Amino acid sequence: MKNVARRHRRKARLRAARRRAQRRRRESLAALTAGALALPGLAGPAGAEGLSDRIGADYNFSRYSEGSIPASKVAPGSERGRYDIDMHQIRLATPIADRFDLGLDIVHESMSGATPWYVIPGDDGKPVQVMTGATIDDKRTDALLEGKFYMDRALASASGGVSFEKDYFAVNGGLGGQLELNEKNTTLSSGVGFSIDSIDPEDSDEYPLRPNHEKKQTYSVFAGLSQVLRRNIAAQSTLTYQLGHGYLSDPYKQALVAGEPLADSRPGLRHQIAWLSRYRHHFSSVNGSFHANYQFYWDDWKITAHTFELAWYQSLFESFRLIPSVRYYSQGQAGFYAPYYTQARADGLYSSDYRLSPYGAISWRIKAETRFRTWQVDWLATFSWERYLSSGSYAMQKVSTPNPGLVNFDLFSVGLTTRF
Amino acid sequence: MLRSAASLLLLALPLLAASGCAAVKPWERDVLARPDMAWEPDSLEAKRNTHIHYSKEASLPGGGAGGGGCGCN
Repeated sequence: MKNVARRHRRKARLRAARRRAQRRRRESLAALTAGALALPGLAGPAGAEGLSDRIGADYNFSRYSEGSIPASKVAPGSERGRYDIDMHQIRLATPIADRFDLGLDIVHESMSGATPWYVIPGDDGKPVQVMTGATIDDKRTDALLEGKFYMDRALASASGGVSFEKDYFAVNGGLGGQLELNEKNTTLSSGVGFSIDSIDPEDSDEYPLRPNHEKKQTYSVFAGLSQVLRRNIAAQSTLTYQLGHGYLSDPYKQALVAGEPLADSRPGLRHQIAWLSRYRHHFSSVNGSFHANYQFYWDDWKITAHTFELAWYQSLFESFRLIPSVRYYSQGQAGFYAPYYTQARADGLYSSDYRLSPYGAISWRIKAETRFRTWQVDWLATFSWERYLSSGSYAMQKVSTPNPGLVNFDLFSVGLTTRF
Repeated sequence: MLRSAASLLLLALPLLAASGCAAVKPWERDVLARPDMAWEPDSLEAKRNTHIHYSKEASLPGGGAGGGGCGCN
């Protein structure tokens, strides 16, 4: 009898040790490789905190609020107020087996407000924005299911999702893989993804320039390298390529061409490349971590862009963390973009969308998070506020005629995360 | 020209640094395993920011969570 009891105790100890080892493997892999996957449809970095051996539930509410367009930049009589969005995010993650996790992400947004429609020359010749006449009300729901399979030195993931609005439907999917080398100091990541979207613009009978039904497809592939540099330093570099095909225009925008409004019309093909490099450095002396990201972007619509992000994660009082961050973004213009066109183009391409115009943007964010334990459950509560300002004068290059529709916004978020 | 050179330097920095790094043993990963050392410490926040920037800028988001397309205005 004693031998049997001893054997049971030994087996229990072995099982516990195996569970601890598996948990360490998951935490290490998640912490070192999370975030390599970036595109619509690509298998994403679930459980970035490495707690996927427990059931996780995350909720976040955000209010996105765009600032009004200044009176000097809007056409007489046009709406000045812009978009507001309320966003609810839910994430559920659970281990299914020893080496298999399943995660479900759901996003629900309620949008309302007016958006930029087209641009006309003002009295002084400077472009002014015409906004959509009626307030737009829409809702978007996005669901993404993701499975991850952990091996000793590798991770394989697969995801599939849908996104739908009144006038929009998209199906997306992706496969990803990660391989650890060099005593787990080096991680190679790669993946592929796709998104198939269909657009049925509203009120196309009332606005004849709007199409009735259009489709587009997006295919993505990426490869990345993560490297542990020291006990407290890690870096990562990821190259991403995306191909867009089909209707890539905006059905709700127009361009003024030789005094006549025409439909927004962009090429039916777009090649995009993004090269993202990230750096993480922990300073034990002050119990803080430094994050730096830089991204170079290029596409064959002749847009190049640079993004710089810096953040500081300051831990305080064991359970509290304060995270200030800043972001700078600058982009050039698409080759066919103009605020308005004095004459027709031979290629028939037109867009006055501010998102294809040259500009720069500065944003800053402050975030606070606190951990606590109640009802024998671990919780993390977060609050953040971000302000985003864009302007032609913030661009790295000189911008002679900035688009009047450039956006400024505030973003407030509160969140609650638990693991049990 | 100067800007292009600076961009290339920034892009190559992690690779240059990696070539001269010392191996860190598995039992020395306590700091690297901290949540605030993750590439994306808050996956919901990363997904939200990716979505907003993808909607409002021409650039392709190179960091963040996945998701479907949108008819974003």
